Amino acid sequence: MSDVREVGLPAGRPPGEDASPDAASLAERHGLTQIGVRPGLGAYLRQLWSARHFVTALSTSRAYAKNSNNYLGQAWAVLNPIVFASVYFLVFGVILDTSKGIQNYVAFLVVGIFMFRFTSSSVTAGAKSVVGNLPLVRSMHFPRAVLPSSAALTELATLVPVLGVMILLVLITGEPVSWTWLALPAVVLMQYLFNTGISFAAARVMASARDLLNLLPFALRLMLYVSGVFFSIEHYVGNTPIGLAMQYQPVAVYLTLTRASLMSEFQVAPTLWLAGGLWALLALLIGFVVFWRAEERYGRD
Amino acid sequence: MTETTTGAPSLIVDDLHVTYRVFGARKRGVAGPTPGALTRVLNRARGHVGAVTEVPAVRGVSFVARHGEAIGLIGRNGSGKSTLLRAIAGVLPPTSGRVFVSGRPALLGVNAVLMNELTGERNVYIGGLAMGLTPEQVSERFDDIVEFSGIGDFIYLPMKTYSSGMGARLRFAISSAAVPDIMMIDEALATGDAEFRRRSAKRVAALRKDATTVFLVSHSIRQVRQICSRAIWLEKGVVRMDGPVGEVCDAYEESVS
Repeated sequence: MSDVREVGLPAGRPPGEDASPDAASLAERHGLTQIGVRPGLGAYLRQLWSARHFVTALSTSRAYAKNSNNYLGQAWAVLNPIVFASVYFLVFGVILDTSKGIQNYVAFLVVGIFMFRFTSSSVTAGAKSVVGNLPLVRSMHFPRAVLPSSAALTELATLVPVLGVMILLVLITGEPVSWTWLALPAVVLMQYLFNTGISFAAARVMASARDLLNLLPFALRLMLYVSGVFFSIEHYVGNTPIGLAMQYQPVAVYLTLTRASLMSEFQVAPTLWLAGGLWALLALLIGFVVFWRAEERYGRD
Repeated sequence: MTETTTGAPSLIVDDLHVTYRVFGARKRGVAGPTPGALTRVLNRARGHVGAVTEVPAVRGVSFVARHGEAIGLIGRNGSGKSTLLRAIAGVLPPTSGRVFVSGRPALLGVNAVLMNELTGERNVYIGGLAMGLTPEQVSERFDDIVEFSGIGDFIYLPMKTYSSGMGARLRFAISSAAVPDIMMIDEALATGDAEFRRRSAKRVAALRKDATTVFLVSHSIRQVRQICSRAIWLEKGVVRMDGPVGEVCDAYEESVS
């Protein structure tokens, strides 16, 4: 006879009615657990931790796969940022002259563009990490936080050759090697943690309201203009309330900190370092919780 | 098969409903009184803006599966087989209803869940990790996986160079490497050749001996009869019949022909 009748589960119950207690008690007797239930925050963190090898394998493979479709292959990981920097140098360093208030404008611009791209591409990749990977979400069982985490980590892996090019260009423009360079890994780490947090939040928002994906490029473009990528905020806006707000917004903080560690003409107040750390922690904490709260719903249209 | 492992429930499905939201599509309205010009224009616009249709794919399914059982899900195209499989695998959140499982279900689908640009070798690694194996366990089983898939040196080429049958072989090899509590196979055996079908049937039998519950979605009734012990016939998202594979398949074939 069919198992359904045997355990007393009527087959054709009207929808919306509460699930039968029989099923739950039968499940409990045999040690079965309900699936599709969001785990607690601590349990979820543990799940994500045990999936760490999956996160890194996914990230490095994706970073590698980006450049595996042409003859020069992985050389593009280095060529791409060089070409990118040349375009900006041609436009802003040679044709236009926006270098007001900055001695080494080329280094300023290169650092600004590369580090801004680190955050903007992390946010874009993070936003698409769930919506764009629905086939993967619908065929494998893993903590969904793997996807935004790995999106941000992929961008970090992509950044490594970019950092090499950036340091080389900074050296060529005549910056002396200094002790402050040792602070660079700390800045990159803070910015990476910030990016991860924003990726979590963006992934959740885009998964529940995918139309916003169309607005994302505009938000990022706005971010580009208010983060002091091409110009010095201090020089153009000064220390007015708006100027201060612009200087202490997270992306501008990370750009300034990177410049301060690589370029001798910039010094920063310790409060800026504090701001960098706080932004990273805040983004990570809020982003993770925001993402976790919809864990059981990812994959549904 | 031992009595201690088989027979105990491994999966309980309780009044499961799954409704898809489909973007970019709207059902044509039913014919009624001729609407005014403004309404017509608005209706036409609504077909392109905010066009979302709700499709109930699974409508109130309940059953209990046991350790060591192989269950074939049969039914016409669009009867909700794949959706049901995904929902009970826990990868597609149900609209309502509950699913209880022992362990972690592994789903083996036709769509490429693995990464096409990467080599088969890399995919074995990623797939194994995704199923919860440790890096050491994946390295340990790597040779077995490649051996079982039978794709030889192709393992070192990107998966986009594989034929669909080769991809299916490799995915099946990866998915069955972990001996999951519940294994769900969605049409994945359809693309393989005769030799691969024989191998996979043997592997399924071995998995069942290890108390794995196997679900198989297939349009090949012959394959379902060959592999499964029980069949569930779905029609329009509800269970039409559930019982021993012979009876259900006979009834289904009679209704189709």
